[in-house]
Amino acid sequence: MSTSKIEIRNLTVDYIEKKKNFTALKNVSFPINDGEFVSIIGASGCGKSTLLSVLEGINKPAEGEVLIDGEKVNGTGSNRSVVFQHYSLFPWMTTRKNVAFGIQQVRKELSRTQRLQVADEFLDKVGLSEFRNKYPSQLSGGMQQRAAIARALAMDTEILLMDEPFSALDAKNRIALQELLLKLWEGENSENKKTVVFVTHDIDEAIFLSDKIVVLTSHPGTVYDIVAVPFERPRNREELIARKDYAAFRSRLLSMFYHDIVDRIGGNEVVL
Amino acid sequence: MTIKARFLRMTHIFFTILMLIQLLPDKSQKEVCTSSLIVFAIVAEAVVIILSFLIKRKESLSLTLDIFGFIYVFLTVWTLVTAKFDLLNDLLFPAPGKVISQFAEDKTVILTNIKSSVGIIIQGFLLAVVAAIPLGLLIGLNARLGNAASYLTKFFSSIPPIVYIPYGIALLPTFRSVSIFVIFLASFWPIFAGTMSGVLNVDKKIVDSAKVLNVKKPAMLTSVILPASLPQIFLGCNQGLSVSFILLTSAEMIGARDGMGYYVKYYSDFGDYTRTITGLLVIGIVVIAVTFLFNRFQQYLLRWRK
Repeated sequence: MSTSKIEIRNLTVDYIEKKKNFTALKNVSFPINDGEFVSIIGASGCGKSTLLSVLEGINKPAEGEVLIDGEKVNGTGSNRSVVFQHYSLFPWMTTRKNVAFGIQQVRKELSRTQRLQVADEFLDKVGLSEFRNKYPSQLSGGMQQRAAIARALAMDTEILLMDEPFSALDAKNRIALQELLLKLWEGENSENKKTVVFVTHDIDEAIFLSDKIVVLTSHPGTVYDIVAVPFERPRNREELIARKDYAAFRSRLLSMFYHDIVDRIGGNEVVL
Repeated sequence: MTIKARFLRMTHIFFTILMLIQLLPDKSQKEVCTSSLIVFAIVAEAVVIILSFLIKRKESLSLTLDIFGFIYVFLTVWTLVTAKFDLLNDLLFPAPGKVISQFAEDKTVILTNIKSSVGIIIQGFLLAVVAAIPLGLLIGLNARLGNAASYLTKFFSSIPPIVYIPYGIALLPTFRSVSIFVIFLASFWPIFAGTMSGVLNVDKKIVDSAKVLNVKKPAMLTSVILPASLPQIFLGCNQGLSVSFILLTSAEMIGARDGMGYYVKYYSDFGDYTRTITGLLVIGIVVIAVTFLFNRFQQYLLRWRK
């Protein structure tokens, strides 16, 4: 019996495109500990989102398995909540209804009033109180993601899965939301800290947020390396970036990122 | 808005022109009922002035005023070519005042006819909505079944619904039940097709998003698939509704004893073209009123869209 929260074992995932079979992930194994913030990085098309979709339970592996608390994942479950890059929210529900609807699916014991109360509480935490009666189409991209995060946190699941949640945002919003996410996640007391799996292609984002970074290579996706982030929490972005070891760490990750590309192109003199 | 922008408008000049030309001598030999036209125009102008106070948005005020402006110009031209200069055959082209007074005279009959027509439309249409939406949802959920069904739907909806009328008459006892049946058939296929294509084309991301929230099957259908397909469902409903009016008025001209189509057909058979034109205008007003209300309802349910 493993002690990790999530155990990914020998995972191979195929997908079919234009009637051809591709291998998206091949033999991927790694553990994720309870309360850990893990980022999965890799170039686009390396299968990082596919990996997350298996954790979500909406995609089934060809081989291997994912265990959560020692139990095999088979479909979606009420112990996980998800934030996607787009379309996490239902466009026909107000922000508040969206959050309350998420709560309703996992915490059936709550009454309607209680659900709305919890929804309001979390919308307040992400700074959307004023916008609770607006529809998603009336919100900016950043606000929509705030609302999606509020819903995921309000559902109070043990595991939070995030699939490039900030990739579509402008730089300013992205930074603001990274800090908000970290603040909310670090703000929880240590016993019931959520386990977060965060997919991104942004190295700085991964370093700033994570305890551990899993680097994937492409075609098919395999684990290239797993790196522990050596910076203590709570983190301050400016101080972190100014540190010498940060630059060293970052370039180490960057070389892993490009190592893969250089290998594939096969030349030494690659101009990127 | 300034007082000037609110009340100094072309529309009022058109109204004044309409009033002034009433002073010209009538050339038509027939009854022209100028007083009815004047009463009508004054009521319309009163409505315009009240609306000028009430409407807040500049664009909607301009639109309202423009529409009334058009009506005044139209009435002016109509009065000139009929009552004042008698340029047209006065049997076929009654003066506007005559039509208005005819409407006032026949208003109980017209109201009964409107009630009958609209009642049939509502019943047939609602039956179609109640049958087509749940069926479309359930069949659309299964991609294979939905695909097959959409071909069948194409076949059935390609039959012009008017040809169901003779068969309906053979099948059912009263004109009313035949009309409801035919309107049901005519609305059913577009609503059914709209619902199915709505369900089949729900964005996969939305379905995934619901799946990861652990939404169970019944809630998935009512809280996710149904609202996500609503824009397409309304597309089908609008199509069904407009076909229903065409169909019903045609059917009423064939075999009814009441309804607006019957009113028009009955009086044109007697050569009473004043009543024919009155009937045509009433049908136009009714259709606009019903579609306006339906659009309002649609806008409300789809208020979440941009």
